[in-house]
Amino acid sequence: MLKRVQHDTFVTNKHFNSSTFQLINHLKKTFGRLFAFTPIKNFMTLEFKSVLPFPLREYPHVNESVWKRDFLLEFPSKILLNASSGKGKSTFVNIVYGVRSDYDGSVFINQRDISKLTLHEWIDLRRTSLSVIFQDLQLFGELTLWENLILKNQLTNHKALTEIEDMLTLLGIGDRKSQICKTLSLGQQQRVAIIRSLLQPFDLLLMDEPFSHLDEENAKIALALITAETEKNKAGFILTSLGSRHGATYDKELKL
Amino acid sequence: MLKKILFKNSSNFQFAFATAGALIGLIALLLSFQLILDVRSFHSSEEELFGPNSVVIQKKVTKMTTIGMNNTEFTPEDIEALREKEFITDVAPFQSADFKVGISEVEGDGLPHFYADMFFQAIPDRFMDIDVDWSWNEESEFIPIVLPRDFIMIINYGFAQSQGINQISEELLMAARLTIHINGNGKDQKMIGRVVGFSQKISSILVPESFLEYANPIYGNGNIINPSRVFITTTDDSYGELEDLMEEMNLDISKSAIDVAKIKTIITVVIGIFGVASLLIMLLSLMGFVQYSQLVLSKASYEIKTLLRIGYSIKSIVHTFILQLAIIFGLITVGSIVIMLLVKILMVNVWLKDNGIHIEGSSIFLTITVALICFVAFIVANYLNVKKTIFNLGKN
Repeated sequence: MLKRVQHDTFVTNKHFNSSTFQLINHLKKTFGRLFAFTPIKNFMTLEFKSVLPFPLREYPHVNESVWKRDFLLEFPSKILLNASSGKGKSTFVNIVYGVRSDYDGSVFINQRDISKLTLHEWIDLRRTSLSVIFQDLQLFGELTLWENLILKNQLTNHKALTEIEDMLTLLGIGDRKSQICKTLSLGQQQRVAIIRSLLQPFDLLLMDEPFSHLDEENAKIALALITAETEKNKAGFILTSLGSRHGATYDKELKL
Repeated sequence: MLKKILFKNSSNFQFAFATAGALIGLIALLLSFQLILDVRSFHSSEEELFGPNSVVIQKKVTKMTTIGMNNTEFTPEDIEALREKEFITDVAPFQSADFKVGISEVEGDGLPHFYADMFFQAIPDRFMDIDVDWSWNEESEFIPIVLPRDFIMIINYGFAQSQGINQISEELLMAARLTIHINGNGKDQKMIGRVVGFSQKISSILVPESFLEYANPIYGNGNIINPSRVFITTTDDSYGELEDLMEEMNLDISKSAIDVAKIKTIITVVIGIFGVASLLIMLLSLMGFVQYSQLVLSKASYEIKTLLRIGYSIKSIVHTFILQLAIIFGLITVGSIVIMLLVKILMVNVWLKDNGIHIEGSSIFLTITVALICFVAFIVANYLNVKKTIFNLGKN
């Protein structure tokens, strides 16, 4: 008799525990989005599931294209995305960076559907784990070159000022520090954008034709700097290009 | 640097208009609020003697009264009815002396020789807001007396001339002692009295209540009579109710006594309307400022989007923005307080003084509180708007 009672108690307890667990999980799901959010740390995987941007619906896609396919990228690794103009390189970068959502299919970062991320989560991700060089650079034209960089670095405190100066000198724009950004040449602006993207910790660096206005020599120097920083961060990058490999080797190549 | 980016496109023209609007609105609001406070704190000299909003009421003497068909006494039921009126905060029947009183001069104090039959009445001390010591006990040097102002007028411009005696000033009368002759209950007594004040409102000769409480049992003839006059205190702006009450109970109220109440009510209503208008102006200028910040935000939409893309949090952008607006509106708030005070001191007060109206400055603390409330309301309204706008920019 005694044994029976004990057994019952045990069952009840177990039942209680599991339902409580379910309840807590449910609450987490419901309220997690509203209040707390767990930042995605250590960008490990990027997964595409038959993604197709709306503007590219009408175009035929080759078999090895990233569009309408399922694939998984694991980091750290260096990836080259090679395609001719108009195939959606920038769209790819913008989708992964979370500034475009006009596509069919789903994208997952660390198994999380990125369309479900809140703005706060995106901002957190962009500050700590995901960096970018936009094709249109997105610098602040009214600020000086130096202010553009400091604006980013004072947010992350990632580099010492002397380190930033060294990077400027390395890329050959050390003498332009106090020039208003919009008066710089496109090639110079591109180098500012490259340095800005390195002034934060990251697991993945997205680069959208970052050397389009640089000569081959400067592009090599820039890529060497980027590679060094990427390795220092134990991170990976995705580099889009119009066909040039910039004299480097990559872990993987994608096509559009 | 964040500030430089966010405000680089802001239009000075728009900014000037929004600022001017807010400044004018806030000044108008604060000024009318301050004036309402001032009017409420307005005291005539009469009110200084008896406290604000107090009037003496009595029943009208009619033909019927004279032939004894009705009387002007307030029965205990009447008093109770008065107490129940909501706009009346205090009711005090006059206490009368139950003995004969006469006054004459004290020789050597400078008054001409005279003798006059009199009467004494008393109201509770709490109505006597008077500077001198109004209390009385058996050891007191003299009995303090408050005379109606008309009394000295009658003596100086009527009595003195026809009798060929010297006129006496208020100051002299207040400086001189008087001999009080008391007669009643078969006893005679002489005491010393002194005039300590004059009253426009109460046409009675007032002595401390404590004196009548002492003298009535000794010299009184034992007649218990209902009071024929009652002292009441009303709430502010109760002029309308007071008039209705006069009709209802067939009362007689000194016209001058209710004039102050009437003027105060009218001025309060007029300034109140001005205040409501100012409040609307204030709301309008608030909207103007929200509009302005909206414009600045939309002009800086590229910058805000980019800041969010390089990892700046919504909070830090909102804070930078709101801090800037808070500085601007803080200056507007301080400026409008200063201008309001200048207008009040240099214009309103001078105008009032020229017109012979003396208003004791009420505290500006409440007005400053109102200004601070406006400031907070402004910040909250803009904060909500800015936060929402920036969030929407980030989502696109």
